[in-house]
Amino acid sequence: MNARRISASADMDAGQVGTSARRVGGVERVSGRQKFVADIRLENMLHVKLVGVDCARARIISVDTTGAAGVDGVRAVITAADLPTPMPRFGPVYQDRPVLAVGETKFHGEPVAAVAAETQEAAEAAAALVRVEYAELPAVLSVAAAADPAAPLVQDPGLRPASHLAETNVLQEWQFGWGDVAAAASEHVVENTYRFPMVTHFAIEPHGFIAAPDGDGVRIWSSIQHPYALQSAIARVLALPLSKVRVFAPDPGGAFGGKQHAKFEPLLAFLALRTGRAVRLVLTLEETFQAGRRTAFEIRARTGFSADGVIEFQDIECDGLLGAYADIGARVVSKATYLACGPYRVPDARIRVRALLSHTPPATAFRGFGTPQVCWAIESQMDEAARRLGIDRLEIRLRNLARKGERVVRGDKPADGDWAQSVRRAAEWIGWGTPLPPGRGRGIAVGIKGSATTGASYAIARLHADASLTVLAGTSDMGQGARTVLAQIAAQELCLPLHRISVVMGDTATVPFDLQTSASRSTVFMGTAVQRACAEIRSKLAQLAEEAFSLAAGEATVQDGVVRLPTKDLTIAGLLDEVFGDVRGEVIGVGSLRGEKAAGHPLGGPPAFYEFNCTAVEVEVDRETGELAIARHITVGDVGKALNPAQVESQDEGAAIMGLGHTLMEHLIFDSRGRIQNLGALDYRIPTSKDVPLELRADVLENADGPGPFGSKGSGEGGLLVIAPAVAAAVTEACGVTIRDLPLTAERIWRALAEQR
Amino acid sequence: MRPFGYQRPERLADAVQLLAEHGPAARVLAGGTDLIVGMRLGKYAPRLIIDLKRIADLPAGIEESPSGLAVTATTVMAGITGDERVRRRFPALAEAAQTVGSLQIRHRATLAGNVCNASPAADTVPALLLYGAVVVTAGPDGDRRIPLRQFILGPRLTALRAGELVRAIELPWPDAGSGSAFVRLTRRRGVDLATISLCCSVSPAGEVRFSFGAVAPVPFLVSDDSGALVDPAADPATRDQVLAGLSARASPISDLRAGADYRRAMLVVLSRRALRTALRRRKAGDP
Amino acid sequence: MSEPMPVSLTVNGTPVTVTVAPGRTLLDALRWQLDLTGSKECCAQGECGACTVLLDGRVVNSCLVLAVEADGREVITIEGLAVDGRLSAVQDAFLAAGAVQCGFCIPGMVMSAHYLLADNPRPTPSEIREALSGNLCRCGGYNRIVSAVLAAAEAGRA
Repeated sequence: MNARRISASADMDAGQVGTSARRVGGVERVSGRQKFVADIRLENMLHVKLVGVDCARARIISVDTTGAAGVDGVRAVITAADLPTPMPRFGPVYQDRPVLAVGETKFHGEPVAAVAAETQEAAEAAAALVRVEYAELPAVLSVAAAADPAAPLVQDPGLRPASHLAETNVLQEWQFGWGDVAAAASEHVVENTYRFPMVTHFAIEPHGFIAAPDGDGVRIWSSIQHPYALQSAIARVLALPLSKVRVFAPDPGGAFGGKQHAKFEPLLAFLALRTGRAVRLVLTLEETFQAGRRTAFEIRARTGFSADGVIEFQDIECDGLLGAYADIGARVVSKATYLACGPYRVPDARIRVRALLSHTPPATAFRGFGTPQVCWAIESQMDEAARRLGIDRLEIRLRNLARKGERVVRGDKPADGDWAQSVRRAAEWIGWGTPLPPGRGRGIAVGIKGSATTGASYAIARLHADASLTVLAGTSDMGQGARTVLAQIAAQELCLPLHRISVVMGDTATVPFDLQTSASRSTVFMGTAVQRACAEIRSKLAQLAEEAFSLAAGEATVQDGVVRLPTKDLTIAGLLDEVFGDVRGEVIGVGSLRGEKAAGHPLGGPPAFYEFNCTAVEVEVDRETGELAIARHITVGDVGKALNPAQVESQDEGAAIMGLGHTLMEHLIFDSRGRIQNLGALDYRIPTSKDVPLELRADVLENADGPGPFGSKGSGEGGLLVIAPAVAAAVTEACGVTIRDLPLTAERIWRALAEQR
Repeated sequence: MRPFGYQRPERLADAVQLLAEHGPAARVLAGGTDLIVGMRLGKYAPRLIIDLKRIADLPAGIEESPSGLAVTATTVMAGITGDERVRRRFPALAEAAQTVGSLQIRHRATLAGNVCNASPAADTVPALLLYGAVVVTAGPDGDRRIPLRQFILGPRLTALRAGELVRAIELPWPDAGSGSAFVRLTRRRGVDLATISLCCSVSPAGEVRFSFGAVAPVPFLVSDDSGALVDPAADPATRDQVLAGLSARASPISDLRAGADYRRAMLVVLSRRALRTALRRRKAGDP
Repeated sequence: MSEPMPVSLTVNGTPVTVTVAPGRTLLDALRWQLDLTGSKECCAQGECGACTVLLDGRVVNSCLVLAVEADGREVITIEGLAVDGRLSAVQDAFLAAGAVQCGFCIPGMVMSAHYLLADNPRPTPSEIREALSGNLCRCGGYNRIVSAVLAAAEAGRA
């Protein structure tokens, strides 16, 4: 007998986990072949244009669509009157958002009517002819206004009858904490108010949606991050079973949280059923800004320190300003403030939080999910304490940083990384403590963000007769490279070359359920699901081998891509050939990971992991103009294992630049009537290629201490979390001014310098 | 965009005639970087667009004569930044043109268009003012030559009459041995509109001129012949006083980009910097 | 007066004729009438560069060019860069450098990079940043794109 031994396949690409395998889908993107939702062409597609009113809040008196309906090519003009009564409503937590405004518009950009026409031009011409008679009403546009008991109510109290807050603009309130802050007294108390304004995602791809009837159901295409959540929302508003709602989710062109939840898909679904045709709506960039934003925060922080700079208590009041509809805004506020004490040991804490409604665009998820806003406050507190106490700003952090295994929230998940290591790495690179060139300052800051608390991800892996593989995974690849990482995991698990693996995403009819792509969860949740699916394939292959060669259970194993039998080895392809023959077939593996709700936990459960980041910067201030130059910038993430180092690094670089955007130049400016004045690319400035730091480095720590495949955690949000306080501290060191409102524009710094003189 | 007609005359006379016939219902199109955006926003709704780019007797280009340069109306910003003569003799203009949008924009946007648009923040106007540019128009009653100072009358308002269009912008050679500079303030280092912009020139005899942009309804010129600004022995405080006095003639507004007081303060700061560069170039023998 | 007009132009080396209303942009003509969806729409005002194409050899924002203006002209889009199905050096360099994330800005970026290297085969990083400053990217930090262009320049000299 031939004892043919085969060693692990040497012909694999550099596709293994831990290598920077080339992006799956990269060729399509550089050649222009990648189809984003706006590139999809369906037969007989109608074009949709939305109609709103020119203010934030108005009572709708009447809508006259006759002029619009008369435009050549128009096939439908609908208003609330054309939709079911009561108006169908949707939303990921509260189903408060109407498909079309009924009775009152509540934010500038909320549609009152929709036109569907044969051409975009006809739709726009008709939309301009829709006559809306309305009475403008006073709008609530700020925290102070929302908190005022005399303010008009943003939301109809009838929408949340069980809540004692229904007659207020407080959507929800929480109190987190432990110990006894009231009794806590410290020698040194730092007390300040911090503001983080409204900013917007500005993915380069505006939102796009298509809906079409599909037999007795409906098909939806959307640039959505959460196809299954959208499927549920559509099923609910149309009263259809999930099995009759098919969502296609082409890879989004950037999302950052702004494409997580349903926006106009429900409206399009109704239009599609009404017209019997496919209907398409691609928003302009301006309309995209009006569709969602980051939650603005106002934080009053009172922190007690010992003379040695040890945190003794945190007493925090936080108001998060949501928009007119809840979207996921309440969760943003609660999840971030739950961790408001940061990655530190804090003996006593009291965190009182409110999520307030206002007549502004919905505050939705945005990379960091409230954590950048919270870190802006608490890290700035640390810097001020250090300055007052004469303690080095790096030292004060190391002194308070939780060690691995120590609690950061009493009774909850302890610190799950050697965080100080990241800090020392960043400090060393930035040259902390070395002499500074004149006019410069340095800052260093740390932060943690809690990952997913609950969730479910399923994956199917299909091993074909020729030992190539198709992985079905419902994660959304919006640029972070999920396709690539999942393919790499499968490649590693089954010892297959990367180029023989396909990853199918974005079709709820063929790809199994994934809760969502958010919270940096996909490497852990979907990665594990894929691993398990591959493990099931290995197990089935072993069984097939045992049956085919009349072996006892356990006598066949699959290792390193080789089927090992007592007397010989086979390649996987060889085994499949042997077992299936001409009839062929496939081996299917299913894997899943579920995180169930923990009863009684305020957030539904502890996070799967903490995403920890340390950012350090060196900044130069032009004292005459207030302009900042970021000379050096390092971001260090504790990622457990970088499954694809280049992808992790490029995510972190992107996060760094995005964070510099909200630190230096981004804010949505509203007028007194609630209209955004800097809609679009001209007056909402984001960093360009000329606005990057002179030196930017993204580094990772890999201690294989994460819950995901190969010890990984997730990443992608960390790099954004603490840039603002690091830069602000550097500015203070460089020129002596302390600023507590973002963004740190040149004018703001100049003004602070002038006041200082 | 409202539907409109499109004509592409091949002779300047035909373009003028079309303009005269249709009056304000017609607009000329050169680069389109302002017009198309404005039409999409509903700011402009012409019935007829007259494309200037195929006019045989109005080709893009910079002509040289003993008295100076003439930039035709269809010359794009990239043509200006890339022209050796402009870079050498009119550096403030080359520098200003370089800041107009991105390269994609500079391959389309024209100098004439920037002038006719007459935005208070137009990037090239301060430089053109500094260099004493003259606007040459073509119209039903023939050509006119209008100093730029008298051409821009207010925000978005020029001295063009019905049926007239700009055919060229003339730049008389600066005095040999003068130095000039352009500087501006923006919200980010990348492509941006000017928060403020200004140019400075210093003549061989020590006359200092500034032109200020984005700080008044129309960019304007100020000058100082006291000598204080060029005297190396002058006390910095005196110099700053002179600069403050010149800046005081500006009437900046507060808008999305900046506050009025910040703009005014930055005028002095940037004037100092532009002056330094202009002085250095004068000494070095650059214009 | 505003009736559709025929426009004849060369796109990616192939002569084509499309009938357009005067108000149709070159971007829309490419995307809707020539099925070339590689050029993207984002800001529609010439600020983001997602719609960048080569018009008579120069990079322009196709959202600000009327299709009628392109009559008789030569247009190259992202789809026209690969030769015989093989990626150009610039495209390959973008992939090798990990410069591609969501990919939406990439066609415009690649067009700008391609133009830069044709115009300036040995650009400095600063020149690259200047040349690409009309192309916005929100996913990445621009640095990998700069590295990609440097690598492509290097490959061109090899």
